[in-house]
Amino acid sequence: MKLIRLLSYAVIMVGAGLGWPIGHWTAEAAAPKIAVSDDHTYPALGASAPRKVPIAWNRYHDHAGLYDLLLRLNKAFPDLTKLYSIGKSFEGRDLWCLEVTARKVGEPSRKPGMWIDGNIHGNEVQAGEVVAYTAWYLCHQYGHLPKVTELLDRCVFYLVPTINPDGRDRFFHEGQPNTRSGSRPCDNDRDGLADEDDAEDLNGDGVITQMRIKDRNGRYKPHPDYPRLLVRVKDDEKGEYTLLGTEGIDNDGDGRINEDGAGGYDGNRNWPWDWQPSYIQNGAIDYPVSLPETRAVVDFIIAHPNIAAMQSYHNSGGMILRGPGRAGGNMRPEDERVLLTIATRGEKIIPFYRALITHRDLYTVWGGEKDWTYSGRGILSFTNELWTPKNLYRSATPPTDEENAFFLEHVLLNDGVVEWKEFDHPTFGKIEIGGTKKEWGRLPPSFLLEEECHRNMAFTLYHAAMMPKLRIADVTMEKLSDGLYKVWVTVENERLIPTRTATDVANHISPPDIVSLAGPNVKVLSAGRVLDRYFKRVEAVRRRPERVELDTVAGMSAERVQFIVAGKGEFTVTVDSAKGGLLTARHTLP
Amino acid sequence: MKPSPRSWPNLFCLTGVLLFAAAGPRTIRAAGSDPPIGKLIAPATLAERLQSLARSNRSIVRVKSVARSLGKRDVWLVELGRGSDAARGARPAMLLVAGIEGNDPVGTAAAVGWVERLAGQYKSDETVRTLLDSTTLYVFPCVNPDAAAACFAKPLLERAVNDKPVDDDHDGMKDEDGPDDIDGDGQIVSMRVLDPDGEYIADPREPRLLIRADKAKGQRGQWRLLTEGCDDDRDERWNEDGVGGVNFNRNFPFRYEWFSAVSGVHQICEAETRALAEFVVNHQNIGIIFTFGAADNLVQTPRADSTGPTTGPAARIVTSISERDLPYYRFLGETYRKTLGLEKELQGVSQPGTFSDWMYFHRGRLSLAARAWSPTMQLELSGEKPKEVPKDDAAKAVEGGDGEAGKATSGRSGTKAGSVKAGAKTSPARPSEPAEAASQDRDFLQWLDKNAPDRFVAWHAFDHPDFPGKTVEIGGFVPFAKTVPPEKELERLLTRHADFLTTLALRLPRIAIRKVESKHLGNSVYELKIEVENTGYLPTALRQGEVTNEVYPTRVVVDLDPKAFLSGTRMTRLTAIEGCGGMKEVRCTVLVPERKAVKISAVSMLGGSAETTLQLGGEK
Repeated sequence: MKLIRLLSYAVIMVGAGLGWPIGHWTAEAAAPKIAVSDDHTYPALGASAPRKVPIAWNRYHDHAGLYDLLLRLNKAFPDLTKLYSIGKSFEGRDLWCLEVTARKVGEPSRKPGMWIDGNIHGNEVQAGEVVAYTAWYLCHQYGHLPKVTELLDRCVFYLVPTINPDGRDRFFHEGQPNTRSGSRPCDNDRDGLADEDDAEDLNGDGVITQMRIKDRNGRYKPHPDYPRLLVRVKDDEKGEYTLLGTEGIDNDGDGRINEDGAGGYDGNRNWPWDWQPSYIQNGAIDYPVSLPETRAVVDFIIAHPNIAAMQSYHNSGGMILRGPGRAGGNMRPEDERVLLTIATRGEKIIPFYRALITHRDLYTVWGGEKDWTYSGRGILSFTNELWTPKNLYRSATPPTDEENAFFLEHVLLNDGVVEWKEFDHPTFGKIEIGGTKKEWGRLPPSFLLEEECHRNMAFTLYHAAMMPKLRIADVTMEKLSDGLYKVWVTVENERLIPTRTATDVANHISPPDIVSLAGPNVKVLSAGRVLDRYFKRVEAVRRRPERVELDTVAGMSAERVQFIVAGKGEFTVTVDSAKGGLLTARHTLP
Repeated sequence: MKPSPRSWPNLFCLTGVLLFAAAGPRTIRAAGSDPPIGKLIAPATLAERLQSLARSNRSIVRVKSVARSLGKRDVWLVELGRGSDAARGARPAMLLVAGIEGNDPVGTAAAVGWVERLAGQYKSDETVRTLLDSTTLYVFPCVNPDAAAACFAKPLLERAVNDKPVDDDHDGMKDEDGPDDIDGDGQIVSMRVLDPDGEYIADPREPRLLIRADKAKGQRGQWRLLTEGCDDDRDERWNEDGVGGVNFNRNFPFRYEWFSAVSGVHQICEAETRALAEFVVNHQNIGIIFTFGAADNLVQTPRADSTGPTTGPAARIVTSISERDLPYYRFLGETYRKTLGLEKELQGVSQPGTFSDWMYFHRGRLSLAARAWSPTMQLELSGEKPKEVPKDDAAKAVEGGDGEAGKATSGRSGTKAGSVKAGAKTSPARPSEPAEAASQDRDFLQWLDKNAPDRFVAWHAFDHPDFPGKTVEIGGFVPFAKTVPPEKELERLLTRHADFLTTLALRLPRIAIRKVESKHLGNSVYELKIEVENTGYLPTALRQGEVTNEVYPTRVVVDLDPKAFLSGTRMTRLTAIEGCGGMKEVRCTVLVPERKAVKISAVSMLGGSAETTLQLGGEK
């Protein structure tokens, strides 16, 4: 006790010295408890709550590992989580969703929802960790940080760490470097056989790397200072090596190597909005929503009209991408403004990330996921391209090849490097196999992974916090004559995102927000939306006066509805908004 | 039984049930001969009808359910062809799709009639036997059984959508205001209200029909035109949100129309359309598709006029039939019209998101489509000289009004008075001029007067509770009046379609190895020359099949170790080989020290495969 008192005193002194308001530390009952921890570890700021589910956030997880993690969270936090599968992958792996919300506060399905998925490209694995970290963080900080508590009390998160578990597991289990696709077999080389010529670990060293051959006419040579780095020679210079691509053989005897590996499509080109077939959009495969993974997500999102925000994690490049995916694609200016506001905040939350538009700043995408969630469902959506090598040296310019080689050698102590070794290849003869590991380049190293997880999560929590927060701010009653009243209901949206986005309203995607009034001894004679609250201009509905349909409640603003009612006694005002929730307020006529 | 003019719907409902009993002596022939053709088939009786066919023709007919509708009805697939699953799956194949448009009982009857006739002809008809021994026919007789059931239900209501609940009027409630048979005659027709704000007037040349008042001509509206029913949800709109749903022939990815009342929440979103899509993806041997439905390219041959953007990323999207594929469409369209007895092109109906357009534009197959019957077709067949073919796409009668009638066929929004917003906001099919539609309707009504007077209900006054003190009349064309011909016309129509379908099935590409020559160059080195030909009609790939990359090249394999090839390769890929004897040559030089039989095979995705062996090797 003495120690605590002394510390408090010290804080007061320091606080006073810095000009902080003093006084709130003085009451002894409010003094923080400080005790020696049993395991002699102490929280760092950021994720400071006691760790009921310890997880090493500097390692990656396969599909089973992610599931195990979600399951442990689910068991440790039954009042905050619900764990279920939203469907199965082509190879039958479950697409696990951890629903995170304060389950005892309000009805989860009526809270504004945020969908977060990751890893649709199987090799973009850290997306899974970022989503899982989000679940872990929310669970642990609930009740500790008011911001998180408020978020889970009023919102619901649908967290699916991997929507391509087949590709994810091929990345970890088979060591395949490029597992962007899922595992549905495709005849990439159109020879009547599917997936018959993939890359392989020829020399059995446990990793699939690159092949090179000594060649007097080759156009590559080792870098003079970083001999592990191969560089292109100058046009008039003699080279030493020719690069032969990824480790593998010609399995099907067609004179080509690794030309028909597992899968062969792009799950993020299979979504319904602006979908185009393969001759226009490579990887689209057969038809929109043809893949079981896409379908599971599409069905889930359609079945959850409360979803008002969406994030789909990819790698890499350090981007906060918004639509449209193609020039001339759908993006309403009102919605673009909200997205840009959120993304600009994100640029500050995640250093070196830039707020970009997919088609303008990256490339054209037909049938991308976030384009469907925005244009097809009216949900404000982002895709974060996780990880930028600018983080290696915390520099606004990306590292040069030499700086990368330096980092490998002096920071990673060559952990990302496989030394070149000779191998007798059935087609090429004597070659060398080696180079960098597949984890190098698009994935953060262990000590930067947790930062990646936290900062991206922080951005999505800001995005989630901007989901509509409706409040029946005011119900005023004015007596017009005996038994006749004018009732004004003010519905306020205290956050940036409207209850229905402009594209939602334009295309009637969600039902309108409905403000209704009913009471056992109350009859609504007329009702309407208040167009001008000062001049009291009201646009009366033509029919069903007990029910006023609003297009939307815009961000940081309010809508007012007038009811002219006859009768007496109690009445209930109900606001029913797909993305804003279900609110009621009970009043009595004076 | 002589039906009274107003009892047609009753008779209509019964025909499905009394099918065999009603077949009559006219269609009964010797066993194994042609079964009856010319009756409509209710979804409830379709299963038994098809399974009975399969039971009595086990070697060539297989039937299975590929999906269940929301209304818990099966979607049936009939497969015709001899041999194992693997053999049939590798042969040239044709796909027939009916009942996808929903209000298409005629297509369903035609499909069933055709397969029954083929099965009957298999033993006796040489052409049919050869066809079924070498070709696979896939038939979906009724893709939308929920919608089809409506034409056998009471009250009779023409609809083209499945049972999926949809909030058509965007008020947060689903299916809460459908049409009602308020005069209790067992069918949903139209309703007109005398109203100074009405948009219609009686056609001066045929007062039973309404035409849109043309203010530019000084016409003042007189009638409001609605579908028969009440305003169930008190929103001052009538029958704007009835049961269902999705029109499956608007649910496919090419030119898919988002957010329309009938196109579904996204492309291929229903169990039935998904089953059909999966089927064609998994049966790459399908080379010809015939669909009963909109996106007509048979009564009217399409033009090769691209409508898409010319710059930007969308410029590469193909939006019209390739010039190189058009001759096939032209020839087959002529054949179709000739077979049906049509002397000239009529106006075809085009709609967004159809199955048939998807199969050509995205999957690169020859894909033909036509409605099985239409008033204009009937007038032409009856020699009633319809007026000039309008330049615009779709024939749209000035009928339907506010409610369900528009929804049933989805393309009508252009003529709907005060129409449901979501009807077809951006339907590229433009309505034809009211005057032209009116003229077609007049001719058709005259024809009905002579041939099927029960198909137009005379306007009769009705005391409608929603319109106190106003004149309300119920009447107009009965459901299916414009999609199902009178029974006496049906048999001829179905028989002619069956004739065309058989002709069409004979038009697939067919791969063959015409000749293999080997020349010994000395020391067991041989030069091989292989001539691969297409003995069928269509090329092994249409231009669009190559553009989309969906129809793979023909593969020619000389089955030797890759190391044996001194020039050329073990597998050679050939681009499209034209039909009617088109040929492509493969050459290679091989070293074969030991004498052996070398297998040479040619595999075409759409044209089947061919194989031969050649004795080679061991010469000094």
